Amino acid sequence: MAELNWQRTPLITIAFFLLKQLKQLVSNFSNLVPVFAAIFVGGKNSIWIPIALVSVYVLWVIVSAILNQRFFLYAIDDDAVHVRSGVFNRQHLTLKYERIQQAEVHEAWYFRPFKLTILSVDSAGAAGKEVQIPGLTMALATELRQRMLAQTIKPATEQASSSSEPEVDLQKSFPTSEIIRAGIIDNKLFVLLAVLAYPLSQLDLLEDYVVPWVEANLGWLNTEQAWLLTAAAVVGVLALLFVAAIVVSLLTYHDLTLTLHGDRFQARSGALSIRTLSFRYPKLQAVFVRRNLRARLLKRASVRVSQLRPVTAQAGGQAGGQQFHLPVVDDSFLHEFRGRLRLPEAGQVHWQRLSNLALLGPSLWLAVLFPIVAAILYFAAETGVWGLLGSVALWLIIQTLVVLSWRNYGYSFVTSSTTPREQWFVVKRGIFSRNENWYPRHKVQQIDVVQGPWLRLLGFSHLLLYTAAGAESIRYLPTEQAQQLQLDWVSEIGQQHRRWM
Amino acid sequence: MAIAWQAPERRYRTYLQVRSLLTMLFFAVLIGIGYATGIYPQEVVPIWVAAVIWLAFTLFFSLFFAARRFQFTAWARSNEGMHLKRGALFRKIRAVPLNRIQHVEFKQSALERLFKIARLAMYTAGSGGADLTIPGLEPELAMQLKAELLTTIVSEPDEADATTHG
Repeated sequence: MAELNWQRTPLITIAFFLLKQLKQLVSNFSNLVPVFAAIFVGGKNSIWIPIALVSVYVLWVIVSAILNQRFFLYAIDDDAVHVRSGVFNRQHLTLKYERIQQAEVHEAWYFRPFKLTILSVDSAGAAGKEVQIPGLTMALATELRQRMLAQTIKPATEQASSSSEPEVDLQKSFPTSEIIRAGIIDNKLFVLLAVLAYPLSQLDLLEDYVVPWVEANLGWLNTEQAWLLTAAAVVGVLALLFVAAIVVSLLTYHDLTLTLHGDRFQARSGALSIRTLSFRYPKLQAVFVRRNLRARLLKRASVRVSQLRPVTAQAGGQAGGQQFHLPVVDDSFLHEFRGRLRLPEAGQVHWQRLSNLALLGPSLWLAVLFPIVAAILYFAAETGVWGLLGSVALWLIIQTLVVLSWRNYGYSFVTSSTTPREQWFVVKRGIFSRNENWYPRHKVQQIDVVQGPWLRLLGFSHLLLYTAAGAESIRYLPTEQAQQLQLDWVSEIGQQHRRWM
Repeated sequence: MAIAWQAPERRYRTYLQVRSLLTMLFFAVLIGIGYATGIYPQEVVPIWVAAVIWLAFTLFFSLFFAARRFQFTAWARSNEGMHLKRGALFRKIRAVPLNRIQHVEFKQSALERLFKIARLAMYTAGSGGADLTIPGLEPELAMQLKAELLTTIVSEPDEADATTHG
């Protein structure tokens, strides 16, 4: 092996290591809360302790960022990339190109003025390693990525044609109006509201703080107008948050462009940091088509494509951040894109429902639970008729939701009529939303037939399918059918010798 | 096609019984320590009630439950996959296609060594723990199975050959 040419990243990458440290702090923040509490309680009388600690921490972050940059070395070989890092615990990592699952070029906003990029590389396997090399020039990063991905596709002989810029089969840009729709569909405000609803309802914020404040400061208003004012203020804040969430989408998905060449799919977007997400068709593990209530009203859908990822990356908070994601597609493009993904036409899918038995369990629980709740409300809490009526209404609502989710659930095994043909296993579900999860059938890794004591009495079983992108279950199948399906699939998958990761 | 299920070694049943006995002994020791140090709430539950409950549990788990669990444990190897059946109350039949197996592990704890049995664990990609563990195997058979599986995995037709370039 030739002597390795170790290289250091440019000085500006100190910013990258600094940000990495800060990210770590944010993700570890909950662990540090007790420490803060202890400092707060213990240092009541001496204000300088927290200040000293914070300044020591800031100093440490800066020094360690500089040291990390000094000690981060990489070398690019013909068949592998080597990375040496760590100040005290030295690490030497060798990543063979042929084992690389994924390589992305990320143009962070603080590198863009310097025309530098970050290259992140994932390897396969359960204990996968993720490596980020900051501060590469765009040309070097793209070339490296080409080389890494070309290696994984085919043997050296066929490389020449694919590693030089391949021709584009399909290119699609998403206009700003579509991105705004994406912002409405995937609005974080609704998540935030759901999270905040409970603590806010417990706080009596309005009663305790807002009303006295208004009364004290705006005495010239009578109470009726004060209520109006608060309502207007709340609506205003919500509207502001709603718009802010759309602006975030506009920033992340600015100039979203989808390009396809051969079996390679790539989406590039971003106003400040430009990120590129891509996958190769053979590595596809699942396709998720999501359509929530807002998306249905706007007649749009969002598509996610999942591939095998290291467990560590999945566990990290940014699991969705690195997945291939088209936030908004209209019906006509969805149709075309589904064709590209070799999914069958919507008309070809014969949805199968779950057995009526699937309703029995939850309904039975509800039927037992709600009379108890009603009895407690009536006798113990002495709420009278209203308690009874309330619990009946709640029962009806939950029972309707259970029936709706059962009605909207469906599964199917379809073979597409595209070339080459692809076999799929699909599950749809949702109460108000319509979500479809598609899995290539030959990528199923493990199949379970499970049966509890009650199901055994009835002669039914659940069928569980595990893929690298998640597990799905078909509940309440007749036991014989479930076991037959299990046998059929295992022998079908066992005879497939196609690439699967 | 019917599956040719194979039962684990008979020693596996004794092993299961001894293991549950050991677990129950651990609880007995806990109760004993509690009684000796006086933490045990003698007024609430008299010691003989605890003893009777303990005895009932021990008899149930060591005699009945372990035997029943053994009775329903079986494994099979077909041309395309590995199958495993287990569970006394909650039955589970698991199947893993051979060409999805990433690596194979031979496992033997101290107690299992005493009973001269072993486990064979199979892993698939992207998942955390073992996906299929066959218990109560003759160690030699386990080793042989492991070697067989590995040759099957290695001699899989190369992915690149089978992929239709397009």
